[in-house]
Amino acid sequence: MAQSAAGKSNKEQKYDRQLRLWGDHGQEALENAHVCLINATATGTEILKNLVLPGIGAFTIVDGHKVTGEDVGNNFFLSISSIGKNRAQAATELLQELNSDVSGNFVEESPDKLLDNDPEFFHRFSLVIGVQLIESTCLRLAGVLWNAGVPFLVCKTYGLVGYMRLAVKEHTVVESHPDNALEDLRLDQPFAELKNHIQSYDLDNMDKKDHSHTPWIIVVAKYLEKWYNEHNYQLPKNYKEKEAFRQLIREGILKNENGVAEDEENFEEAIKNVNTALNPTKIPSTVQDILNAEGWKNITAQTPAFWVMARAVKEFVENEGEGKLPVRGTIPDMIADSEKFINLQNVYREKAMQDASVVSKHVESLLQSVGKVCVYKSKKKCKNAAFLRVVRCRSLADECSVELVNKDEITSCMDNPDSEMVLYLMLRSVDRFFQQHSRYPGVYNYQVEEDIGKLKLCVNSLLQEYGLNVNVKDDYIHEFCRYGANAIKMITHQFVPFNNTFIYNAMSQTSATFQL
Amino acid sequence: MVQLVGSLRKELADSVSSCRVLVVGAGGIGCELLKNLVLTGFKNIEVIDLDTIDVSNLNRQFLFQKKHVGKSKAQVAKESVLQFCPEANITAYHDSIMNPDYNVEFFKNFMLVMNALDNRAARNHVNRMCLAANIPLIESGTAGYLGQVTVIKKGLTECYECQPKPTQKTFPGCTIRNTPSEPIHCIVWAKYLYNQLFGEEDADQEVSPDTADPEASWDPAQTAARAGASNQDGDIKRVSTKDWARSTGYDPVKIFNKLFKDDIMYLLTMDKLWKKRKAPQPLDWAVVQEMADAFLQSDEVSGQGLRDQQVLGVKGYAQLFCNSVETLRSQLAEKGEGAQLVWDKDDPPAMDFVTAAANLRMHVFSMNMKSRFDVKSMAGNIIPAIATTNAVIAGLIVLEALKILSGDLEQCRTVFLNKQPNPRKKLLVPCALDPPNTNCYVCASKPEVTVKLNVHKTLVQSLQDKILKEKFGMVAPDVQIEDGKGTILISSEEGETDANNSKCLSEFGIRNGSRLQVDDFLQDYTLLVNLLHCEDLEKDVEFEVVGDAPDKAPPAPNVPEEDKNIANGNQDSALPSTSSKVPIEKDDVLIVDSDEEPSSSTMEAAVEMGGVKRKLEDVETGGAGSKRKRLFELPINDDDIIALD
Repeated sequence: MAQSAAGKSNKEQKYDRQLRLWGDHGQEALENAHVCLINATATGTEILKNLVLPGIGAFTIVDGHKVTGEDVGNNFFLSISSIGKNRAQAATELLQELNSDVSGNFVEESPDKLLDNDPEFFHRFSLVIGVQLIESTCLRLAGVLWNAGVPFLVCKTYGLVGYMRLAVKEHTVVESHPDNALEDLRLDQPFAELKNHIQSYDLDNMDKKDHSHTPWIIVVAKYLEKWYNEHNYQLPKNYKEKEAFRQLIREGILKNENGVAEDEENFEEAIKNVNTALNPTKIPSTVQDILNAEGWKNITAQTPAFWVMARAVKEFVENEGEGKLPVRGTIPDMIADSEKFINLQNVYREKAMQDASVVSKHVESLLQSVGKVCVYKSKKKCKNAAFLRVVRCRSLADECSVELVNKDEITSCMDNPDSEMVLYLMLRSVDRFFQQHSRYPGVYNYQVEEDIGKLKLCVNSLLQEYGLNVNVKDDYIHEFCRYGANAIKMITHQFVPFNNTFIYNAMSQTSATFQL
Repeated sequence: MVQLVGSLRKELADSVSSCRVLVVGAGGIGCELLKNLVLTGFKNIEVIDLDTIDVSNLNRQFLFQKKHVGKSKAQVAKESVLQFCPEANITAYHDSIMNPDYNVEFFKNFMLVMNALDNRAARNHVNRMCLAANIPLIESGTAGYLGQVTVIKKGLTECYECQPKPTQKTFPGCTIRNTPSEPIHCIVWAKYLYNQLFGEEDADQEVSPDTADPEASWDPAQTAARAGASNQDGDIKRVSTKDWARSTGYDPVKIFNKLFKDDIMYLLTMDKLWKKRKAPQPLDWAVVQEMADAFLQSDEVSGQGLRDQQVLGVKGYAQLFCNSVETLRSQLAEKGEGAQLVWDKDDPPAMDFVTAAANLRMHVFSMNMKSRFDVKSMAGNIIPAIATTNAVIAGLIVLEALKILSGDLEQCRTVFLNKQPNPRKKLLVPCALDPPNTNCYVCASKPEVTVKLNVHKTLVQSLQDKILKEKFGMVAPDVQIEDGKGTILISSEEGETDANNSKCLSEFGIRNGSRLQVDDFLQDYTLLVNLLHCEDLEKDVEFEVVGDAPDKAPPAPNVPEEDKNIANGNQDSALPSTSSKVPIEKDDVLIVDSDEEPSSSTMEAAVEMGGVKRKLEDVETGGAGSKRKRLFELPINDDDIIALD
């Protein structure tokens, strides 16, 4: 027991700087994740390094290649002594050294073999990262993972160009960490307990100290009552009304014996916060979409936790919540003495817990109806009900299909001949080259000239096949012949990942995201 | 073996393998950078870092392992890199780059200097050394998911100091000592207290009540009476806090009662302070022991969280205070006579002490207490850090390095790494480099500044320490008065002008309009300082630099002609038809959290934690927030050592 406490504290120390970024629950999600890397290339091991260091639960490298001199030259995690060894094994050993908390595994086989013999092998992972896969393997694997609901991150680097594509049918985000989230204060429609708490204050009969230490939330609530009475129960809506409301609060500041306004910072705070405080309580449209989503309407034993939760929240909104989401339960810092602040905080907090337990009850009964026991920790999700997001990507199969290709995006981007889109087309052409010649263009110096012509054919046949009426400049073809971090977002279910293609051009240090 | 050389032109590949480069810092960015450099084919690399390895580095500084904790970062980094790339020729220095051994001649050995630093003082210094040696410098920094890389070249670009930076957050002495109103005031106080009790005593870090508080101004008779009263107070006033504590044998209960009862009761006698404020409430050890710890808060609605995220009650913090004082007492005793402890946020008893003392003071002053986790953020200026961001930034550094080596300085860019793609769907945003600020007090041809101060009050010592070293970033200044006689006011030779230190400037004939010529031979830097005599500076403000408006946004940077039409015109307009041209975006550069200011970045981080975040007002969050402006400010990437004060 003592030892596990010490172990926990060691981890806290080691991971301190990142816990401040994604929290202990983010860390927990990371530690429960099992990531599969296909091909331990320089890019592949670099990605794994950045997952192993922060303490991912486990990784498995799938790679049928043997380590070559070239690998040792460009891959920091392979050394000369690894030449000739299986690449999965050599990289696993060296990556494992980075963090003893991580379990490293390897499979000395090509992904194609695994797909032939045991496609279900890939179902166990939280995320599969495929690096430098040839197009046919990539599409096969993508099909398997798509159907299994396992996120698939496709990575390619070619010379100074990087490509990343996320393929996942549906990725749910519990904490999207929006940049400017509004507080959930319910001042426009206070719940009963909050109403009672507001009633317990009497601003007109208070001594000076208490008056200037009353939390601004209470101040706004008090003057809102007044405002409601004078304005037919309508919130101040436009600038003019809000300004009038601010003036109302300003008039409430105590005056000294000479009639000069006292310095009451809490009132100043109230005035400053009028705008955010009066934001009407409503369900964000993104969340409304999730609650109304068709896909998981019928809860079965297989329904993912997120959707059971979403359904439970929906039940809550339609019943106990009277059209509102569960209360978030946090309030911002403000000028107030401890006692008053904590009392107010507790009002929100207790209501949030109450709402959460109601949602939990809904979860329980939904699960009972399909014969499952409730094991979900739902409180976190309740608190974040306003920040739920769902990302849906297009499948790789759709992207590559002649009928479903996103022609519009490609052609409109190609109106600017230097859009990163051209790099996408080039990478697809290089894949095609590889498929035909079993090697990349320009790898042998004596073939460069010849390869330029061959690659150009590949570019043209690609454009023709997809009916793309765009122009790829020869510069790019020459450049490509001369050449011989996003996973964490997926695992922690925090932040919204890119959807769906990211291209990095190191020649000009530009990057772009596309929906393909 | 084929390295990246494959995708580089032959001439460039050759200069990569033959040139000598300096990496300043072997921390988060430094480790990634060393790896990238050797993989790119750099052969001659020197790396310098004065720091040793800490457990909290291991989540990202991948060249280090548990067994290396306590060892030199530079040395271990070198050894780890050599294991993978035995053919590299790496020199490691476990030293401060500000050491005079690393003079302009030293810097001239390099084709290129790359900073991977975490503090402003060293960045300022390397900036000047590179200007003096006329060597290109690549600057970089990261904070959480955000990062930035930029290039500095004398005469061509802005230098690191061309734009004023937000000044370090400081708090008036009487706010800290008498009237704290925010948790940060109590945390600063607790850090001062640590130094007063166990560390190096500093007259600027007093923790006892400040009787000279102008707000408390009594009539003289009362003041005299009070002075008498405080003398009877067991002479606490005249003995240093440390001597007093020592005389009690560091008795935790006595220290507790002095700090949280007696001193507070004394503050209560300064009744003017409490006319409008809520008066503090003294805490008595014996009474605290009787308390049932009624309100024990937890950070999360859902409970649990990290152990460090729990907020203890008053009794809990009193106990923690007592335990940590005892631990620190024995640490001090073990070190022997005259020894001092140095505060370190990653040293558990030191952090416990500050957490406990700060929270007890927060309670006394009716503030809501904070968890150890949050106190640590604020006390240690912790900027969150992960491997991924550092890896991206280190990659960008190498790309800038390649452009410099190819002689394509005009292709160099400042590149910002965003948290999420911006509205133009870019995660990485390149911006043109700005030309030097002709009024820069560092890189202008004849640097000059004007400083307002009171010549009758400012001591030579504070001119040297606070103005020349701290504010203007010099290491060993020599000062000559331009009075026609060339009077030497300060000499960098040890002991030569010590006698001047305790005299005020007016004693040397310095008055309104006097000019000082200040030289720093190490930095090969001369600054002309114009002095304006001023009697009405605010309390606790010793001097003011004229025209220094750190809180305002710097002037809009000039856009080079070539880029202007792109920035102002529509982005889709046809660009010149070479693939190397960069669409320059001027307007959507993110705010990068400032260096030594704890509020923005740590607060943002804390907000992301989603706990009961006691957010400071008006905190600007980084990333794609609504306010966007450019700050030429590189964030600390790592375990900063900058004190809050």
